[in-house]
Amino acid sequence: MSVREDLRDALADERRVPRPPEPAAMVIFGASGDLTARKLVPALYDLAAARRLPMGFAVVGVSRTKMSHEQFRERLRGSLERHRPQNFSEEVWESFSRSLFYLPGDSRLPETYEELRDFLKRLDAERGTGGNRIFYLASSPSLFAPTVGRLGEAGLSREEDGSYVRLVVEKPFGRDLESARRLNADLLRHFREDQIYRIDHYLGKETVQNILALRFANGIFEPVWNQHYVDHVQITVAEDIGIEGRGAFYEEAGALRDIVQNHMMQLLCLTAMEPPVAFDAEPVRDEKVKVLSAVRPLPEERVEEVAVRGQYGRGWIWGEEVAGYREEEGVSPDSTTETYAALKLYIDNWRWAGVPFYVRTGKRLPKKVTEIAIRFKPTPHTPFARAAGAEPNVLVIRIQPEEGISLKIGAKIPGAGFEVGSVNMDLLYGTAFLEEVPEAYQRLLLDLMLGDATLFIRADEAEAAWSILDPVLRAWSEARDVPAYPAGSWGPEEAEELLRRDGRRWRRP
Amino acid sequence: MAEAVIGELRRAEGGGWMSVEEVERELARLRMGEDGQLGLRASVLNLVAVTGEETAPQVAEAVSRLAGEHPSRTVLLISDPEGPERMDVRLSAFCTPRGGGTQVCAEQITIHAEGPPARHLESIAGPLLIPDLPVFLFYTGSFSPGSPEFVPLARLADRLILDSSSWGGCGRAFAAAVGVLSREDLPPAGDLQWATLTPWRALISEMFAAPQLAGELAGIGEVEIHHAPDGECRALLLAGWLASSLGWRLEAASGPPPARELRFSGPPGEVRLRMQPATPAARLARVILRSADCEFCVSRSLEHPEARATVSRGGEVVGESVAYIGRFDMSAMLAEELRCRGRDEAYERALRAAAEVVA
Repeated sequence: MSVREDLRDALADERRVPRPPEPAAMVIFGASGDLTARKLVPALYDLAAARRLPMGFAVVGVSRTKMSHEQFRERLRGSLERHRPQNFSEEVWESFSRSLFYLPGDSRLPETYEELRDFLKRLDAERGTGGNRIFYLASSPSLFAPTVGRLGEAGLSREEDGSYVRLVVEKPFGRDLESARRLNADLLRHFREDQIYRIDHYLGKETVQNILALRFANGIFEPVWNQHYVDHVQITVAEDIGIEGRGAFYEEAGALRDIVQNHMMQLLCLTAMEPPVAFDAEPVRDEKVKVLSAVRPLPEERVEEVAVRGQYGRGWIWGEEVAGYREEEGVSPDSTTETYAALKLYIDNWRWAGVPFYVRTGKRLPKKVTEIAIRFKPTPHTPFARAAGAEPNVLVIRIQPEEGISLKIGAKIPGAGFEVGSVNMDLLYGTAFLEEVPEAYQRLLLDLMLGDATLFIRADEAEAAWSILDPVLRAWSEARDVPAYPAGSWGPEEAEELLRRDGRRWRRP
Repeated sequence: MAEAVIGELRRAEGGGWMSVEEVERELARLRMGEDGQLGLRASVLNLVAVTGEETAPQVAEAVSRLAGEHPSRTVLLISDPEGPERMDVRLSAFCTPRGGGTQVCAEQITIHAEGPPARHLESIAGPLLIPDLPVFLFYTGSFSPGSPEFVPLARLADRLILDSSSWGGCGRAFAAAVGVLSREDLPPAGDLQWATLTPWRALISEMFAAPQLAGELAGIGEVEIHHAPDGECRALLLAGWLASSLGWRLEAASGPPPARELRFSGPPGEVRLRMQPATPAARLARVILRSADCEFCVSRSLEHPEARATVSRGGEVVGESVAYIGRFDMSAMLAEELRCRGRDEAYERALRAAAEVVA
């Protein structure tokens, strides 16, 4: 380390004044889209206001829409003011907005990249962005490969003079195993794996990271976190909303691609993984990949025994009648796209042998809730004659809406005799830690600038998740019927049957 | 910094002497809402605050506003060792509605201790602490680090927080804090005035983050710190932080306080640091660091919650950022300090350097 770095680090104080990221320019492809205005720029603005952005920082938006720098800024300002009127500071915006730039251009054409290269050089000189580059693919997935190819051809993926170049890819990472492999190969043709940051914003949520804290910062859970004590695990990601006008998108995606392949597989990994040796990118991601590799393959010809899909019809939610999926705008009247998916998975390793993991997700379910329920085995023998009310212990890790944990325990019911009933012990994290929780993108963008890939998806991780689901995708693409469930119910009858066959039932979250 | 959420204030009627058991029973009753539902008690720490009669209202207000940010059991001890023997206990709870119809309550026990009880505050605070949670002792006035009144109380705590600006002289406060740090039987210490420097230190540190500017740090030859007369302690701690972080050794200090002219020898050579008491635009108004080519400036005014950092080369601004810095009233300073657990080595180094300046 040089004397100058020593001195600079001397001013940092990890306890209270974490080291700011190095100067950088972030190029966002697809900058006229919703993600830039609603998520990326507000997250960057919050980082600026919280003194976490380097002084030498610039955003360059690229998309085909014709706009000036000023129009781009005005558009983003409008979005910020609309979405967070309480947290908007004129002074912070005035300074931050000077770091926002816009280049109209077609990301498929080489001239766009020549112009971009010159512009970035100018920013290095004028804004002190230091030669570091982040290329953020927020455009349509069909443009990912062409954009990366053009970046490579223009020499923009090369790291020179100690500077870094990073590439951010938004999900979906392909739409099946084959396309995921193709996409990874396209990315790796021009970038090294350690330059690529695949973003699943779910991992940026404090609540999701808290699963690791619960498991690995508390000694009492780990001894019972295995097949000796756990009967089964249920993971639920339920939404009460429908497809919110995104009919065309959802018709192509469906619940399996939209939620199960990414969010639910992440929850499965965090629940089932072994303790990583350190909370660093490679150890954490190695452990996640080990879980995915241990998931028992689902044979295509037996998919119906272990997987259920459904599609919501008309129904009632919170006192309001809502339309069925096929009545939604942009949805085919005879669509077979699933809005509900449930799977029974086994993780064939020493820890989890024989323990089923039931996962389910759906739209237009009775309420919005994300939780992981660990149901423990019953006691081997009860000495109490009247213990019928006591059920096995259940530890529920609730991720949203009210984050916390709940433990169901058996307790004596006051009075004569010895009657046992179940009691829930609840802890809401929010009641103990009342600090403002940063938005997922805020955390992830900062990690990205600091070069910490722990909360990003590695290529083999994305492919392993697709490997599990590919047989289901294939089987479902051939089936003509999709079971219906009324909006406001907990899914199709077939899903209930999936557990009933095992002598179990879904929890009511 | 966000305004603390106070929630609903519930006070127990009456006062006077109460046993520990009565205190616990009454606090549980206070957590009960009108609908008979028991509010959850959320506690992440114990806070014992010691103050005198004069400053009691200000301290009481500050600790009560913490309930929204650091749910805790607060024991506010208003002490008057010279008064006639008396102990008066008042109880209150700050209950905030949460999801699902639940209430979360933080508790405050206010005890006036006069005469002999005021000389044995540890005997009052000790039984009221929630087990297994860290204990912070906020001592608002002056104390002697070796006194028989202070030591037993400080030993209850995992961390001591003082406010050097309340001592009527930074020198005495710094000497006492150094005294605490040098005793192994006392907990690590912090200072509210240091807590206010966190955003300043972050902004100063950020200005040198760019590799092409990091080199300028080694060439800093002049520093100016503009502060209000009542901001001298935090200005001295900032000077101490710069000196201890960058390896500057104090050679001479001159000028009648609070205007001071300090001369350091640093790795690159001489560094002159001027502390300028200005009009009370803000307790800390501006910090300027100059190298041969560049000027690095962080400034704020009292009217705005933001601070501006600028880097200039040859008179031309080459870098600028504006960030939210917040307003530091006592509650906000305390909230910042309560985030810190264990020893704060940066503070300890800065304190020792600042203490050397005012020795």
